[in-house]
Amino acid sequence: MALQGVEQTILRDPALFYWIVIPITAVMILTGMLRHYATVLMNSPPKPASTLAESRERLTLLRAVNLRNHASAVLSKESFEMRKNYLVSGFQNGAFLKDPNARGQPPANPMTDPAAMEGMMGMMKGNMMMMIPQTLIMSWINAFFSGFVILKLPFPLTIRFKSMLQSGVMTRDLDVRWVSSLSWYFLNLFGLQSVFGFILGSDNAANHMAQQMGPMNPAAGANPFQPGQDPHKMYLNEAENLEVFEHFCILDGIEERILRKYSADQTQ
Amino acid sequence: MAPSAEFGANHPSNLKTTLHLSQQAPDTFRQLGKPLVQLSTFNQQGSDDFDTLEKLFFSCIQSADDESALLCLEHLTNRFGSSNEKVMALRGLYDEATAENQARLERCLNNYDDILSRNPVNLPILKRRASVLRSLSRPSDAISCVVQLLDAVPTDVEAWCELAELYHSQGMSPQAIFSLEEALLIVPHAWTVHARLGEISYIFARSLEGEAMSRSLSLSIRHFCRSVELCDDYLRGFYGLALATTPSLVTRIPETSRDGLKKKETIERLHSTALRKLQETLSTQYSRKPHLREYEENELSVVKELLGQSSK
Repeated sequence: MALQGVEQTILRDPALFYWIVIPITAVMILTGMLRHYATVLMNSPPKPASTLAESRERLTLLRAVNLRNHASAVLSKESFEMRKNYLVSGFQNGAFLKDPNARGQPPANPMTDPAAMEGMMGMMKGNMMMMIPQTLIMSWINAFFSGFVILKLPFPLTIRFKSMLQSGVMTRDLDVRWVSSLSWYFLNLFGLQSVFGFILGSDNAANHMAQQMGPMNPAAGANPFQPGQDPHKMYLNEAENLEVFEHFCILDGIEERILRKYSADQTQ
Repeated sequence: MAPSAEFGANHPSNLKTTLHLSQQAPDTFRQLGKPLVQLSTFNQQGSDDFDTLEKLFFSCIQSADDESALLCLEHLTNRFGSSNEKVMALRGLYDEATAENQARLERCLNNYDDILSRNPVNLPILKRRASVLRSLSRPSDAISCVVQLLDAVPTDVEAWCELAELYHSQGMSPQAIFSLEEALLIVPHAWTVHARLGEISYIFARSLEGEAMSRSLSLSIRHFCRSVELCDDYLRGFYGLALATTPSLVTRIPETSRDGLKKKETIERLHSTALRKLQETLSTQYSRKPHLREYEENELSVVKELLGQSSK
């Protein structure tokens, strides 16, 4: 820290501002947009099931999940038990599997299965789309602009922000308010989401946060199995979930609920 | 579409609304024009346009405006290609709708079989195939077709509902009830499906005697209750509730069934509540001008008839 109360001044060429801040910002925005369109072009939609048996293998799991989630809202005890027994026995003896004979065998090597291979290629493509431009831009900034101090923030900050705002400038005494070019790049990288949202619409592919969240909630209708997963094991899991599920019925006592609801209406 | 607002909350199955919508075809075509259709891959609104076009196609087909329907279909084909599954199904639908005789329909069926032999999981075509079989009055074939479809795609609400209607048309009520329950497991808050389930179990109950009848009837009452719980002032739900709780039916419930008496009192109160709600709806609807009413004239007159019968 410099002397207390004394404003630290650095004599900067104003051209630095025009030749560094604006180019970095523009390049970040443009690559973001480019990435969006490249992702849209390269994105291959998840492959639909190619046979009826395959489709059944995928969707029966969803059916069981639906049963577990919604049974209380629809079914009486007997019809729930009936469905539960059907699904559990089907899961356990592999009736819903695409290939019931392959049950219990170790899963095939995902490298030899073209479908699994494709899924992995999709993930690879997504990751590459993120990594390659970032690496390139960062090395570009390092090569051209490393060590430049380009901005001064109009408000004071604590010393903790030094590593965030002054990466690439190893000066212990520099006030935290100064921002280095490399830090400006990082700020852009994380701060431009709303700009992309404005330019490209809210579900854009430039948004890398969304891309990281993507695999966690696969869209409905898509394959619930990740490549390399053994459907039979997932089935056994689901059968267990169904067996421990405690059923109650929302339709119990609904007559009284309705009477109360509409007699309350009347008195109002 | 602003003009349709003046028809209130009319159901799209209403023919008057359908005709009105299909008469907007020339406007829509003018708005669409060629260039917009080609550009709209870059246009955020693009998908909406095609959605509108698809709906327009259905309205045109229903109101026998085949030329406009064909135009819609061509627009869609230009954009998505004739090998798109949905476009194939729409093309099939058009062929079916313009088929004049059984032989043409048979040809549609053969065409579907042909497509399915190339790609067995073409869901839209599988559904079309079932409905052609139904139009050819071969319900058992249609049922086996839908069952085969549902075996592969057990999460398709539309197909479960269709299966329920098919079973119901064949008088196989337990199967129909099962199918509707499956549909409800996927969309548990669909009050229309709850009401339909109530209707089918009510019809089933009327054909039964003793314990079984009382069980089916109480199932029906419960589902009607659920439908009016989910949707306030749901006319169809209240109508069903009033029917299912009719005193003449309730007296047939055997006394031996569990807590029969307590239940009977509740059912009577439900009946009067349902009648009161129907009466309210009727008076509010009739106090409005005809074109502002939310229900069709025939719906209201049926309600009136029921109220007249029960007051006797």
